[in-house]
Amino acid sequence: MGQNEPVPSLLLIEDDDAIRTALELSLTRQGHRVATAATGEDGLKLLREQRPDLIVLDVMLPGIDGFEVCRRIRRTDQLPIILLTARSDDIDVVVGLESGADDYVVKPVQGRVLDARIRAVLRRGEREANDAATFGNLVIDRAAMTVTKNGEDLQLTPTELRLLLELSRRPGQALSRQQLLRLVWEHDYLGDSRLVDACVQRLRAKVEDVPSSPTLIRTVRGVGYRLDVPQ
Amino acid sequence: MTTAQGGVRGWSATRTKVQSRIRFTSLRLRLVVVFGLVALTAAVSASGIAYWLNREAVQSRAQDAALNDFERELQSHVSTLHPNPSQDQLRITARKMADGGDRFGVLLIDEDADGRTVSGSSTDNALNGFSLKDVPASLRKAVNKRQKITSGNQHPYHVYWQRVIDGDTPYLVGGAKMIGGGPTAYMRKSMEKEAEDLNSLAWSLGIATGLSLIGSALLAQAAATTVLKPVQRLGVAARRLGEGKLDTRLRVSGTDELADLSRTFNLAAESLEKKVDDMSAREEASRRFVADMSHELRTPLTAITAVTEVLEEELDAETGSVDPMIEPAVRLVVSETRRLNDLVENLMEVTRFDAGTARLVLDDVDIADQITACIDARAWLDAVELDAERGIMANLDPRRLDVILANLIGNALKHGGSPVRVSVREGDKNDADLLIEVRDHGPGIPEDVLPHVFDRFYKASASRPRSEGSGLGLSIALENAHIHGGAITAANSPEGGAVFTLRLPRDAAPLIAREGDGEQGEGGTEDTEGDGQ
Repeated sequence: MGQNEPVPSLLLIEDDDAIRTALELSLTRQGHRVATAATGEDGLKLLREQRPDLIVLDVMLPGIDGFEVCRRIRRTDQLPIILLTARSDDIDVVVGLESGADDYVVKPVQGRVLDARIRAVLRRGEREANDAATFGNLVIDRAAMTVTKNGEDLQLTPTELRLLLELSRRPGQALSRQQLLRLVWEHDYLGDSRLVDACVQRLRAKVEDVPSSPTLIRTVRGVGYRLDVPQ
Repeated sequence: MTTAQGGVRGWSATRTKVQSRIRFTSLRLRLVVVFGLVALTAAVSASGIAYWLNREAVQSRAQDAALNDFERELQSHVSTLHPNPSQDQLRITARKMADGGDRFGVLLIDEDADGRTVSGSSTDNALNGFSLKDVPASLRKAVNKRQKITSGNQHPYHVYWQRVIDGDTPYLVGGAKMIGGGPTAYMRKSMEKEAEDLNSLAWSLGIATGLSLIGSALLAQAAATTVLKPVQRLGVAARRLGEGKLDTRLRVSGTDELADLSRTFNLAAESLEKKVDDMSAREEASRRFVADMSHELRTPLTAITAVTEVLEEELDAETGSVDPMIEPAVRLVVSETRRLNDLVENLMEVTRFDAGTARLVLDDVDIADQITACIDARAWLDAVELDAERGIMANLDPRRLDVILANLIGNALKHGGSPVRVSVREGDKNDADLLIEVRDHGPGIPEDVLPHVFDRFYKASASRPRSEGSGLGLSIALENAHIHGGAITAANSPEGGAVFTLRLPRDAAPLIAREGDGEQGEGGTEDTEGDGQ
């Protein structure tokens, strides 16, 4: 991220005072503008007022929990959401990813890891080569960073868009989950394949005609996923 | 010789088999035998005594009656007889005597006027006539013997009798000599009727004994059944209890010893169940405590971690904003926070395994790539030799594989020293498994430590410095291998150095399918799609 680019603004929703203060301090030092909220309701209010670039959301919140906040945000907004979760291997992660989160970080959070994740998610929205690709009734405009289906604009999160872009760059070629984790999430070798699966599910729900029997984004058993060019 | 031995062994084998098959019924058998013996003894002694008493009573009554008759007839008829009677007179008198009383034969013997011995019998025919030769010699002698007359014996002659068996027929033969001269008289009475009565009595007693034997056998059966059925139930219940079904209880009916036993069993099972429940509750409570505790520790730790990073950056930036006096303190806080983080992370991992909530997140990975990445991420590339071909794919949880590898290699580097050699081989059985061997070049593991290397917080020696890790690493590695359906073994290489061998199935997916885990994203995705291309 260049020095002259605008400082990304974050919204941190976390109920524990100490964690909130510490993370705010850490993230601010990493060069982010941080707004904080202690509850989901406050967070949703701040979201409307401040329009942050990204939300860091604790799962365990009093009142409406992190999943519900995530779902409510996704109804209207496609901005990236990173979950702060207690455990990496329990149902929390799956539910969080299904409710629309782009990534997750396990507590105790290391500031550097969180920062790296935030930057990786924010990079997904950056524009790249100026070309367009058509897959059946799906048109991916890489210049405008838009996807249209039957001429209609699809509301994709940056992560979903980046996943679709990476797949569309190699049509007909299977990409493993680990490859996709590196390309889209910029995770290291230990990326969680459930991120890919959850994102593919969400993407299918938006781009496929019948999400339960996909024709575009196909599963390649034992490998990963592949974007097919319809005949 | 050998064949004979084999034969004997074979025979004893079959015998033990047969014995074991009939062993259960042996109690029944014993009961039947004992009941039978008791019944037999009782019946035989009772009927024996009854028979002998009856026999004596019947015989002596018949005998007394016959002898009394004989005596009376003798007195009433012989007194009318002339001295020295003729054979005809004797015969007539004998007939009269025989007619008078009970049916018995009479034989009178006397001397006639010429001094010849004459005899007259009430029955003359040749077949069953009563003649002198039917009278035993001992009886004749006794009858004709003249007794001394004493105060206790006022008569020179008495009535004598003897039982004889002629052919199959029992007879009572009696005789008397008239005092003061006169004929010698004998009587013979058939005791056939009495014998028949006694025979039929014996028969009925025998039949009664037989019936009582049968009855006792049936009773024994019934008793055995009533005793053995609860015993059998008890056996089944005990087996169930042994199999871990601690809620096994017996229905208690009655107040006998078996009911007591059942009640005791129920009480034992109940207290056992309670104890096990208590223990598991306590274990559950302590597990929950550790889980909650590590969970609770994490919240402040998250805050501290975030802040210590700030402190660390401040130190590294060398802006001089940190007092040099304070710097060691800050560094200590930073490093110890990291250690505390690891410890809490490991504790959480352990509690997840203990609670059985640990889950696999499977992915298809290249093992060689994964190992390289693991080594690379920890800057161990210089210290580790990797002997693995790329292209060995496995469906497993990459994060857990990383935890295992990091712990095994880290342990090898710490205790064994470099170079650590990591080699990947395919398993023996149908390459369904893969083996990853981590070998160091250190002194190896002492034999007494070897069984404990995977124990939690096990320190090989008390003198070992505390800073060598959380003490949970190898235990967590092992648990991670187990959850994949694999294993880790520790051994010492003959060429020196310790060898840890990790065995993992190449596809852990069936394991998850067996657990019926709905959480697993990949399987679910593929199932709902149904795009088998």
